[in-house]
Amino acid sequence: MKVKVNGVEYEDEVEPRTLLVDFLRDNLNLTGTKIGCDTTTCGACTVLVNGRSVKSCTMLAIQANGKEILTIEGLSSDSKLNPIQQAFKDNFALQCGYCTAGMIVQAHFILSHERDLSEEKVRDMIHGNICRCTGYQNIVNAILDASRRMRA
Amino acid sequence: MSYAGKSIKRLYDDKFVTGRSTYVDDIKVNSLYAGFVRSNVPHGRIKKVNKEDALKIRGVVAVLTGEEINQLIKEGIGPWTTYVDPRPWKIPLWRFAQGETKYNGEPIAMVLAQDKYTARDAVEAVSVDLEPLDAVIDLQEAKKDKILVHKELGTNYGFVGNFNAGDADKALASSDRRVEVEISNERLIPSPMEPRGIVSHYDGNLTIWYSTQIPHFARAEFSRIFGIPESKIRVIMPDVGGGFGSKAHILPEELAVIAASIRLGRAVRWTATRTEEMMATNSRHNVFKGEIGFKSDGTLTAIKGTLDVELGAYLTYTEGIQPTIIPPMIPGPYKVRDLMIKSQAIYTNTIPITMYRGASRPEATFIIERIMSTVADELKMDDVEVRMRNLIREDQIPYTNPFGLKYDSGDYQTLLKEGVKVLEYHEMKRWASQERAKGRKVGVGLAYYLEICGFGPYEFAETRINRDGSVIVSIGGTPHGQGTETAIAQLVADELQIPIERIKVTWGDSDTVPIGLGTYGSRTLATAGSAAISSSKQVLDKMRRVAARVMNADVEEIDYRNGEFIHKKEGRKVSWDVIAREAYGGKEPGLSASVVLEGDVTFPYGVHMAIVEVDDYGIARVIEYRAYDDIGRVINPALAEGQIHGGGTQAVGQALYELATINENGQLAVTYADYYVPTAVEAPKFKSYFAEKYHPSAYLTKSKGVGEAALIVGPAAIIRALEDATGKKLNKTPALPEDILQ
Repeated sequence: MKVKVNGVEYEDEVEPRTLLVDFLRDNLNLTGTKIGCDTTTCGACTVLVNGRSVKSCTMLAIQANGKEILTIEGLSSDSKLNPIQQAFKDNFALQCGYCTAGMIVQAHFILSHERDLSEEKVRDMIHGNICRCTGYQNIVNAILDASRRMRA
Repeated sequence: MSYAGKSIKRLYDDKFVTGRSTYVDDIKVNSLYAGFVRSNVPHGRIKKVNKEDALKIRGVVAVLTGEEINQLIKEGIGPWTTYVDPRPWKIPLWRFAQGETKYNGEPIAMVLAQDKYTARDAVEAVSVDLEPLDAVIDLQEAKKDKILVHKELGTNYGFVGNFNAGDADKALASSDRRVEVEISNERLIPSPMEPRGIVSHYDGNLTIWYSTQIPHFARAEFSRIFGIPESKIRVIMPDVGGGFGSKAHILPEELAVIAASIRLGRAVRWTATRTEEMMATNSRHNVFKGEIGFKSDGTLTAIKGTLDVELGAYLTYTEGIQPTIIPPMIPGPYKVRDLMIKSQAIYTNTIPITMYRGASRPEATFIIERIMSTVADELKMDDVEVRMRNLIREDQIPYTNPFGLKYDSGDYQTLLKEGVKVLEYHEMKRWASQERAKGRKVGVGLAYYLEICGFGPYEFAETRINRDGSVIVSIGGTPHGQGTETAIAQLVADELQIPIERIKVTWGDSDTVPIGLGTYGSRTLATAGSAAISSSKQVLDKMRRVAARVMNADVEEIDYRNGEFIHKKEGRKVSWDVIAREAYGGKEPGLSASVVLEGDVTFPYGVHMAIVEVDDYGIARVIEYRAYDDIGRVINPALAEGQIHGGGTQAVGQALYELATINENGQLAVTYADYYVPTAVEAPKFKSYFAEKYHPSAYLTKSKGVGEAALIVGPAAIIRALEDATGKKLNKTPALPEDILQ
């Protein structure tokens, strides 16, 4: 299969049953994407496939053949945080950090599609990403904050 | 410059927001993958494990049974003897299942393969001949001792203890009113986002990467269990994706991974799937049934009853704490002194019960707060008034409760008075009653708590100043998401009067941190933070001595301020960096000090309020959650608030949604898709306040602990709000739609 991940082209052989998340983590060593559940429930494995937000634990790697993937590692370069990452940090929007990569990728998806965000809308659009630590309020604040920063 | 008291940003967030964090499953070690074949009956005789088909699969290295694994596991998993006295307990031997399986989901064989997909294939290919035996799933049924979980114990009762103070019978007899109560918490699942995981490497020494809250205890336990000296075992705790008490345990799967790595001489790894994680750690499930007595003016006079605590099939590392801590915490912040509580812990053929955030204090608080609300309802008194009448007065503190717990500091009545104002309790109650008149099912409820944390008996810290003047602080506490390390860096930066950027805090490696108890029970900031202050003071004293030598002066002549050593009389100054360099050049080299600080418990307290709304289908939502707490000195308000938000959201889950249903076959009958951990939609809005006139703890930090507060008191506040909204009596968690509509 051929796939472009964070702007880099990869060619690899995979077993048909290999899940996209395992391909990213094990074959490409991109371990920023996490596995939190086996029921498509928690969202820790969220990545973008051709710009669409996808839970990579329930997509086969081969289904990504010929597609472009964005993972958490593709959101910053030279260790310079992007506005969403900075907003998460500034708003205390993480504790243990395990859901954070998926949250930020989903936030990136939300912010590239929605301009007029309300708190309710943000809550609705991240409800597929479970965080067990923060109580979500700071995550919601961070996404709204990032939205303001990106418009400014 | 001072850092403490400010919301300083967390020091190590960059790696998490960029995906460069390293949890156990991210560690690249050339290793075999473990998989577990599990029991599908709650109690059964293991007649034969058929390995042949599995071993034919390419990439499968071994299939091990209990007989083989237990040759290396010399001793069983035991209780946490620092906090649990094992003597009154009946404890079955708990190793890897051998001969019999005691619960549905128990691992009964282990496969080892070259990758995790093959390991799963191999698990499928192993078949086990299991002869079902009589099992007891239900807690009440188990109390009859008709079917025994462990024949050799002769009973299902693991512990029976009487917690008696004063004369409850006499107090009940002379009460104006007596009421029967039954209060319970159902079984739930802690659910950290990172499932548990372990990598074990053996080369004569054992190196274990482990998603744990207690690396040093784990080392000690592995040493005892495998008969290997502690010096030959290194436990490394990488980034840990949440614990909530569930990662302060040792499970048979983990022992099997270590045993396999020793036996095969290969590194072995296992990361639980979410389903396995859910089967590994079930928590709570206890019932208090009894009678209370009170006077017509609302004074609670007596509590008498029985507390049943479910153990599941085995006594886990921490579950012994519950039946021994819940009863002495039941009086809480109230004056009641006549209590008679029989506490009993009972084995069943179900998943062993582990602890969960708050561990015992949520149960004790739910019991006493439900009792307070019951008194209020019976006498048609206001919730605040009833509590005010019963709260211990400030002039009685320090107060020794009827079971001997000494409450350190506080002003419970003033906090309630202020809290009612800060949280706008009466305004919100009025608002809710107006809304209800319009047909909306909304309600407001409050609950009070006094908890116990800051658990000693000790904690370790070392402050080391490097040659370039940068500082490394090692701590025995092991934060796993709370951000405590940032708060400790704040304290050390203040103590050393240097920029916080020059300080790095490390933890969680049993080879580099000499000793430590870990992180649980909201203890880390008070204990490890105080040890870090103390070790920093010592190292600064040494720097002063070096400065005196450099300046040809007596130590008494040297002042220190903001990174400069100053000759008091002459005004000469030498910088921090010069002294650090000098300390590694001349006499008495080196700049480090380590401290093992003895500690004792602290008692934070506060009042929390929930506003709920129920829809036509009985589905409840907490709209808003407000908290007013005295947690001693607040070192980093944003971190403390974060704990209230997180604990409060878990309280919403426990009170309304989370139920680990066990079916009649002892099988966990929920998945992560229908075990409803709150999402952003169910989570409330939060307002969190801390009492400004804090009542400090005896620790150097003056802090008390906040990690569990909201889950300790939240369920009681939410259930009370539900009662306000619906007019129903609800005495258990979770309160499900069917309970609300009935």
